[in-house]
Amino acid sequence: MTVAKLIDTSLCIGCKACEVACQEWNDQEFTLGVFNNTYQTQPDLTSNFWNLIKFNEHVDDGVNSWLMAKYQCMHCADAGCLKACPAPGAIVQLPNGIVDFNQDNCIGCGYCITGCPFDVPRLSSVTKKVYKCSLCSDRVAAGMTPACIRTCPTNCLTFGSRTDMVQLATARTAELKEDGFKDAGIYDGPGVGGTNVLYVLKHASEPEKYGLPKDPRIPWAVSLWKGPLKWVANAAFLGTAVGAMLHYLKFGPKETHDDEIH
Amino acid sequence: MTTKSIERFSFAERASHWTSALCFLYAAFTGLALWSPRLFWLSGVFGGGETVRAWHPWGGLFFFLALGVMFRRWARQMQLDEDDQVWLAKSHLYAQHIEAGIPESGRFNAGQKMMFWLQSASAFFLLLSGVVIWFPEFAPRPLRLGAILLHPVCAAVSMGGIMVHFYMSTMAVPGSMGAMVRGTVSAGWARSHHGKWFREMGGR
Repeated sequence: MTVAKLIDTSLCIGCKACEVACQEWNDQEFTLGVFNNTYQTQPDLTSNFWNLIKFNEHVDDGVNSWLMAKYQCMHCADAGCLKACPAPGAIVQLPNGIVDFNQDNCIGCGYCITGCPFDVPRLSSVTKKVYKCSLCSDRVAAGMTPACIRTCPTNCLTFGSRTDMVQLATARTAELKEDGFKDAGIYDGPGVGGTNVLYVLKHASEPEKYGLPKDPRIPWAVSLWKGPLKWVANAAFLGTAVGAMLHYLKFGPKETHDDEIH
Repeated sequence: MTTKSIERFSFAERASHWTSALCFLYAAFTGLALWSPRLFWLSGVFGGGETVRAWHPWGGLFFFLALGVMFRRWARQMQLDEDDQVWLAKSHLYAQHIEAGIPESGRFNAGQKMMFWLQSASAFFLLLSGVVIWFPEFAPRPLRLGAILLHPVCAAVSMGGIMVHFYMSTMAVPGSMGAMVRGTVSAGWARSHHGKWFREMGGR
């Protein structure tokens, strides 16, 4: 069964309880970051801060509001980090759809950072390993919900089978539309085969307003690098080796004419 | 036959060549380990994935520096002249050991000169892209995306070139290994393969 997390951004009050729960469960020491004149805890994700509520400022008909967006790993079906990773076992995709980093196998090359369409993984300058949200794979394996879900006081966060979450998101979108939010919709990254973190957005046609990429895809450079380029290079090496062998068999070595030297 | 030998490569030339060769082999094999999960087992030969990630860039940097020594020494001698153009146009005859119509070569033949420029250019771009990949946390995303493409392309070109270089020196042209190891060649070898250079050195 594929699991999923549903984030109904219309219900988020920005309490940041999920940030605290994430830090607590994952035993992260909070390091004081940068204050950038917003209500956000810090401007961006860091290697020891995997779950950030983005307070996106929004003006609609002269009314200021926040478009809250919980930002963390999206657990893509077609995971760019996994595609880019050279170290077997450092990034694994569990049967339940969770994309998990195993730091024991991570070599810290940072290719996953370049492969991720959501710019989520972060390299630690201390351990030289890359970290991100694990969707609490340890809790999920034990039949519990992720820490952020467990602590959310507004039902903004829900966790369950992906099918159920899609159903819930669809129903919630219909409600929002009834309430007058004509642009309400689901954000689930079809360009990466679907994400296992789903959003309900009031402004679904403009996910950038929430700090989410418009049409997330694995960068073509990464696909080319890990796809055709590999086979062209392999064929070139093989061709050179076979060519050298055939050359030697047909023409042999270049002879030296040693005669008539005085 | 003669036992007369001619100095082909000085100690400094041989030292920088073999320093760069060893660094190249290290960078190439550790690079292959990072190239694909299927080749990751190679990292075990070189001390594990973390070690390879930490030291591959240094191997590449030392390769670049050693190549830089050769570049400074040889760049002028590696300029292609008119005879070299003819040589390149007839390189398919050279490959078949047909000597008629192929101009005699100076210290380096046109093929060696092309190898020199190929390796110099690819090393330059490997360094540029390599620095970006070395420190991903300091490079903006578009730069990283360019680097992860440029680096393997240059590496493949460079390694393909070295495969040819390796074949030529160990098998196709007997005597060239001695030239780079002991530094000397026989007079007959010099006259056969680098006639113009042979006469410049006072040979008849």
